[in-house]
Amino acid sequence: MASTQIAMEANPSAHPGGPGLLVSLASMPASALPAMLSNLAVAFPGQNITVATPEISTVPDSGGIASLRLVGYTPAAAAQGAWVLTAADYLNTFQLAREHHAGLSLMLGAEAQSLSPQALRNLAAALGSGNDLAVPHYTLRPREGLVNAALLYPVTRALFGAAPRFPLAIDFGLSFRAVEHLATTAQRFTSAGQDDAVVWPVAEAAAAGLSIAEVEAGERVLPQPPQADLNSLLGEIAGSFFAEIDTRATFWQRSRIAPGSAFTQLALDHTEAPPDVRPMLDSFRNAYTNLHEIWSLILPPNSLLGLKRLSLTPVPNFRMPDDLWARIVYDFTLAWRLRTINRGHLLGALTPLYLAWVASHLLLTSGSEAGHMEPERHIQELARVFETDKAYLVSRWRWPDRFNP
Amino acid sequence: MLQQIHFALSDSAHRVLVQLASLLPGVIALLLAVLILSVIGWGVSAALRRILQSARFDERLSRNNAGTSLTDWSPSNSPTLLVTRIVFWAFIVVGIIIGLSAFDASYATNSSMEVFMLPYLTHSVGAIVLLFAGTLIARFLARSVLIGAVNARLQYARFLSLGVKWLVFVLTGAMVLDHIGVGGAIVELAFGILFGGIVLTLALAIGLGSRDLVSRSLERSADRLDSNPLDPAYTTTGPEPRETLRHF
Repeated sequence: MASTQIAMEANPSAHPGGPGLLVSLASMPASALPAMLSNLAVAFPGQNITVATPEISTVPDSGGIASLRLVGYTPAAAAQGAWVLTAADYLNTFQLAREHHAGLSLMLGAEAQSLSPQALRNLAAALGSGNDLAVPHYTLRPREGLVNAALLYPVTRALFGAAPRFPLAIDFGLSFRAVEHLATTAQRFTSAGQDDAVVWPVAEAAAAGLSIAEVEAGERVLPQPPQADLNSLLGEIAGSFFAEIDTRATFWQRSRIAPGSAFTQLALDHTEAPPDVRPMLDSFRNAYTNLHEIWSLILPPNSLLGLKRLSLTPVPNFRMPDDLWARIVYDFTLAWRLRTINRGHLLGALTPLYLAWVASHLLLTSGSEAGHMEPERHIQELARVFETDKAYLVSRWRWPDRFNP
Repeated sequence: MLQQIHFALSDSAHRVLVQLASLLPGVIALLLAVLILSVIGWGVSAALRRILQSARFDERLSRNNAGTSLTDWSPSNSPTLLVTRIVFWAFIVVGIIIGLSAFDASYATNSSMEVFMLPYLTHSVGAIVLLFAGTLIARFLARSVLIGAVNARLQYARFLSLGVKWLVFVLTGAMVLDHIGVGGAIVELAFGILFGGIVLTLALAIGLGSRDLVSRSLERSADRLDSNPLDPAYTTTGPEPRETLRHF
């Protein structure tokens, strides 16, 4: 906290928007707002902090938050289904930062009241030390955030050279330069009506050459999406991600590989019961029987052979090799680009394969006997395999018609 | 007697040959019309492609949502290609219409050939379009149902998908035959029997096969302890302590 204050006061020209810090809160229930404000008051005592909330009328009169300058705002564009930050949120934050001459902004998503004051200070401190984008590293349970672990983190790291462990972050710290740049991109999404674009800020920042820092954020309650169906959610997230990969193809074909995340996750409690993965494996085997024809349009024979072996493997020994999963993700990315099949069908056909990966990951990381490993170690190894196989994607991206066994 | 038979046969052959000879100018006119309009269509579509490419039509369209969905339906992701192909095929269809009217004009109004041939020729264009659209829709729906059913963990997903595909095929076939006027009431009757049969089979299959699904659904609403891995907050069902699996 102190370092942030010092950095901002010593070098105000480093923050072209102005010397202040803006905290832009997402819409939250009235009961959560007092806790959020008191956390902010504890995190930044006696500082010039502007807190923007759409629920200004529900803010309680309390002496504890007197140091905060509260402002209300009407969102410029509606942020629908706000469980993650949407393009509209970046536009709102940019407008607020400009109006209130804030050089640094914290965008806090739903359930942000569960963030500790230390996490808020860390985000601001990372910006104060000259970074453009501060991405929080949450401490999650080993069986949480699995889409991030299976898909978003390893691919973002391998392709965009950006190491944040949670690219689908719910909170961000942004310099004025970063918020201005991301708002320009967000404007394109909102004007095109692409409200489903959610997994783009980290890739966009990496492509724009903005400096990205990952900061420890501790435990946080992750807001859960309103839809109850994994198919549509995974389709939405993976579709947004594949579209971003397609858009940034010229960048990632040349980008360098980043070092891994510097933080560690919670170790799995080995006294916990191993999960029941049978429903997931049943789903995968059923899909292998029925979707083989569709998969064969997307995947090369080698991957199909790997899936065949997996479909015959008994539950205790079920392990999806990391390189097989990496190839599957890369081939689906390519099929998205080439429109090999309808994109809705493509994303639907990915769901059983993702469930197979989750089952394999859970089996590999549960229990304490030999051959098992810590979940985070497995995720880091997976990310390294994605990096190693990046050449495969680049090659297929450039020459998709070349023979591929 | 033999002479009369010979006369009848030669007279009949003569009349058929004369009819065929009189058909020839109409056929040539039809072919010429299609050929000329195809060449014009090719030229116009090539010019249009150049204009659209220089105007960066694809890039402009991809910037908005409506354009993105158009791009999804375009061959090789190119709306330019889609537009030029539509123009080209429109010219061919116009050529066929012109050819058919030339074919019509080359006959005497009392010709019996015209009465039989023209309806088939004119309706065959619409029938081909119907057949093409029906095949595309059948394939799309069959895949949608297959993927949806697999992700809903239905064991009979392939059967369901095949049923939907054949429903659309039967419907398309009946429409095509009806459009070209073949079969009449027999087609309607056969279609009704086939369509009803497929629907009944699917209903029975779904009814009998979905017992597990319905019971799972009832259990879920009873105590919310479902073991569906497609639920984002899937709860593993091992011994205590229970842990929730969160995909996001």
